[in-house]
Amino acid sequence: MIELIHVTKRFGDVVAVDDVSLSVGKGELCVLVGTSGCGKSTTLRMINRLIEHSDGEIHLDGQPVREFREEVLRRRIGYAIQSTGLFPHWTVERNIGLVPRLLKWPASRVRERVEELMALLDLSMGEFAGKYPSQLSGGQAQRVGVARALAADPEILLMDEPFGALDPITRESLQDELARLQARLHKTIVFVTHDMDEALRLADRLVVMHQGRIVQQGHPIELLREPADEFVESLLGGEDRGLKEAALLPVSERMTPLGPRLVAKERVAQHATLREALSIMLWRHVERLAVVDDDDIPIGELSLRRLVGARGHESPGP
Amino acid sequence: MSVGIMNSARLSHRLGWLAPLVWLVLLLFACLGMEELEGLFRLVEPDSQAVIYERADFLVLLGRHLLVVGVAALLAILLGVGAAVAVTRPGGRDFLPLVGQLASIGQTFPPVAVLALAVPVLGFGTLPIIVALLLYGLLPIVRNTLAGLEGIDPGVAEAARGMGMTGGQRLRQVELPLAAPVILAGIRTSVTINIATAAIGATVGASNLGDPIISGIVNGNTAYVLQGALLIGLLALCVDSLFARLQPVASS
Amino acid sequence: MRREAIRPNSALVSLLLATLVVWLGLDTVSVSPNRIVPGQGVDVLGVAGWGGVAASIAPILIVLGLAWRPTPVRLRWATGLVVLMLSALPVWLVVAAALTVDPDMPQARMGIGGGVWVALFLLLLALIELRTRLALSRVLGWALLLVPLASLAACLALGLEPLALRQEYQGRSAAFVSAIGEHLMLVGVAVSLSLMLGIGLAMAMRHWPRAQRMGFAILNFLQTIPSLALFGLLLAPLAWLSGRFEWLAALGVSGIGWAPALLALVGYSLLPMVRNTYVALDGVDPDVIDAARGMGMSRGQVFRQVRLPLALPVILEGIRITTVQAIGLTAVAALIGAGGLGTFIFQGLGQAAMDLVLLGALPILVMALVADALLGALTDLLRPGGAT
Repeated sequence: MIELIHVTKRFGDVVAVDDVSLSVGKGELCVLVGTSGCGKSTTLRMINRLIEHSDGEIHLDGQPVREFREEVLRRRIGYAIQSTGLFPHWTVERNIGLVPRLLKWPASRVRERVEELMALLDLSMGEFAGKYPSQLSGGQAQRVGVARALAADPEILLMDEPFGALDPITRESLQDELARLQARLHKTIVFVTHDMDEALRLADRLVVMHQGRIVQQGHPIELLREPADEFVESLLGGEDRGLKEAALLPVSERMTPLGPRLVAKERVAQHATLREALSIMLWRHVERLAVVDDDDIPIGELSLRRLVGARGHESPGP
Repeated sequence: MSVGIMNSARLSHRLGWLAPLVWLVLLLFACLGMEELEGLFRLVEPDSQAVIYERADFLVLLGRHLLVVGVAALLAILLGVGAAVAVTRPGGRDFLPLVGQLASIGQTFPPVAVLALAVPVLGFGTLPIIVALLLYGLLPIVRNTLAGLEGIDPGVAEAARGMGMTGGQRLRQVELPLAAPVILAGIRTSVTINIATAAIGATVGASNLGDPIISGIVNGNTAYVLQGALLIGLLALCVDSLFARLQPVASS
Repeated sequence: MRREAIRPNSALVSLLLATLVVWLGLDTVSVSPNRIVPGQGVDVLGVAGWGGVAASIAPILIVLGLAWRPTPVRLRWATGLVVLMLSALPVWLVVAAALTVDPDMPQARMGIGGGVWVALFLLLLALIELRTRLALSRVLGWALLLVPLASLAACLALGLEPLALRQEYQGRSAAFVSAIGEHLMLVGVAVSLSLMLGIGLAMAMRHWPRAQRMGFAILNFLQTIPSLALFGLLLAPLAWLSGRFEWLAALGVSGIGWAPALLALVGYSLLPMVRNTYVALDGVDPDVIDAARGMGMSRGQVFRQVRLPLALPVILEGIRITTVQAIGLTAVAALIGAGGLGTFIFQGLGQAAMDLVLLGALPILVMALVADALLGALTDLLRPGGAT
């Protein structure tokens, strides 16, 4: 658990982070978003003391980070960055095993752990273990970067725009991968990005920063529905917000039981998002979809009225 | 890195140890078997009594030459890399601009001028030459070590810190290995210049492979000059090809 | 980097402490009754007594104080004081000459001691440090040096007759002037020749990529051979050629002299020249060339109006490296009778006359620095977007 209490950072006369208070619970994935220069990266880097804060306190499980020796603190916290920072003169295997070796794990245990992590991140040991970073694609390098950050099984993971330099398709697949990993590992993650879709997709808690301050924080849906001010509103996509929210909600949320009417011809999977459902309606020019389960058996239906959340006679809203 | 150096590095890599070995064998043959070539030298100096330099054994001159250059190079590497590392640590950062500027301005000084200026201060003989070579040889090493350390990808440096490596671990495991090719190139420049400058040192009383040349010029004996020039040339090529072999092809 | 009290500038503090130590610890001048007898060292106390010690270390201590709390204003004051101290060094020599050299002994001469040389070096370093910290422009940095130079000129004009360096100069002022001429001539001709050859070679290498590797291999090989050896190796063939062909001998070509020197100088100059020209022409952003072609410029127009102007700063950089290197190598060429300032160095070394060595070495040093500065400034000027 990470706690920032009235934390301020000044560079000379410039206040980069201004009186920020934030608490990230165990197992929570907290995403810091904002325009460039808003202090989100600085905030992240103060947690593992790559930057020392000027005022306030930062606690890790109740203990001020200043009380740790820098190196000891950092070895307890996983760290992944946009440029990956993989050591170009080391093989993938050696790169991943870095922190365990710093912690003086026995060689056999380091090797086991590297194998485990490479399997976890879908990197074939035989193919990649002996490669050098320059021989990897951007997506592969970033997987190795994440594996390295996870190597010593840290409670906490700091990620500074880790997928920022990747093409959209690779980025999405790594976001899925991270969501999958998080569902399994339950790390406490602080994640910095300026990609709003990425933020909405991953965050348990979304923190919007502007000019060094936190303007709003909460669950992504909360922010989408009630942005604190115009800045948050425009950052979240202005007129697009409806679609963004729809992308966060599953079809099952608005589905109604199969009624007496004929089952609709067009279908949508129950795990699909409302946004996908809307897209199908637009594409097929229909107002009703059949919702099907994994075996393609209809289990309910979704009307346009229900999808947009209009309150009506069909049933009370959620 | 420049095109030419890269190409010759790649070439010498393919040749492996062959090139330095060939030069070394030629150098030793020339040292030991100069008398065999007497007929050849007789052609350039038909009138002189002696055509083979005999005041000292060529092998001894070679040894002295190597000793002077070797000692100076060793000290220059220790001091130069040490200084560059020191001014890139948090404690020595204040000195970084000054040392960087000094290293680049200093390389404008002609080595002969440095050698000549060392004599009034330090006197004649071997020791002043070692000091002059050391001082001059420091500059390319400091400059390249600084360039190598400062040129490391900031992301890599940041990751090393973020993973919890201590200052010493970062230096030994990340910074020095990554800067090594550039540092080695600096050492190569330094040694190449020093082999040449040491030969000129024969004029200020150091006895080495420059001796036959100076003595040949003074006595008007072209054969002596050729013998000295041949040996110094072979020595330089031998050492240079050795460095070319050591220097890894820039792998990115 | 929280806002904190200003820390001492440790580089400047160390430089001034070192200046203080060498100024008080080393001899500032050496005096001898004539040219043969080795000089007798005299330190600050010996020259000017305790008053002189106090007066001379006062500015050092003040700059130390200023460097301890280095605000920009204080650093400006410190810069002024350092320039003042540099200007005071020649004055010190005048004072020392008046106080230590017996006017009744016309042969008596005064050498400059280690204290003055090292103090000069350290103060120049301090000036470089101050220039960097205050982010003064290169031009202003050089302009600051004019003050001490003016002081030196004034002192030489007013009365430094006993200065050994000056006496050596007066003994051979004609030879000195012609040596400088020879030196500049050799450097100039060698650099011009290698510039023309170098550009031609670089263009040829761009045209025939297969020649490129071979070309660089040969030039690298040449550059590796020590200068003394190359000069020596050229003696024999040139002597032989001039013996065979009378017209060559009539031109002044012989084994000894300017011919082998010039050949070797051009040989050495080719590598940096070709390398920089090649890299410069090759390193122009391909997108820019692409755009130029796309706009409909012809091959010739692209080369003359786009590629060449963009490559010019790097080519000039090559000329700078080549010129500085040639100035030093020409000194060595004196050994094979090519003349130039190296003559004084080797004569001086032969006669153990150190001031004669200085008479040769100092102008070479100055020449190299000036060439470096001038060509560096020119490069900055030609760089798109102006000086950096």
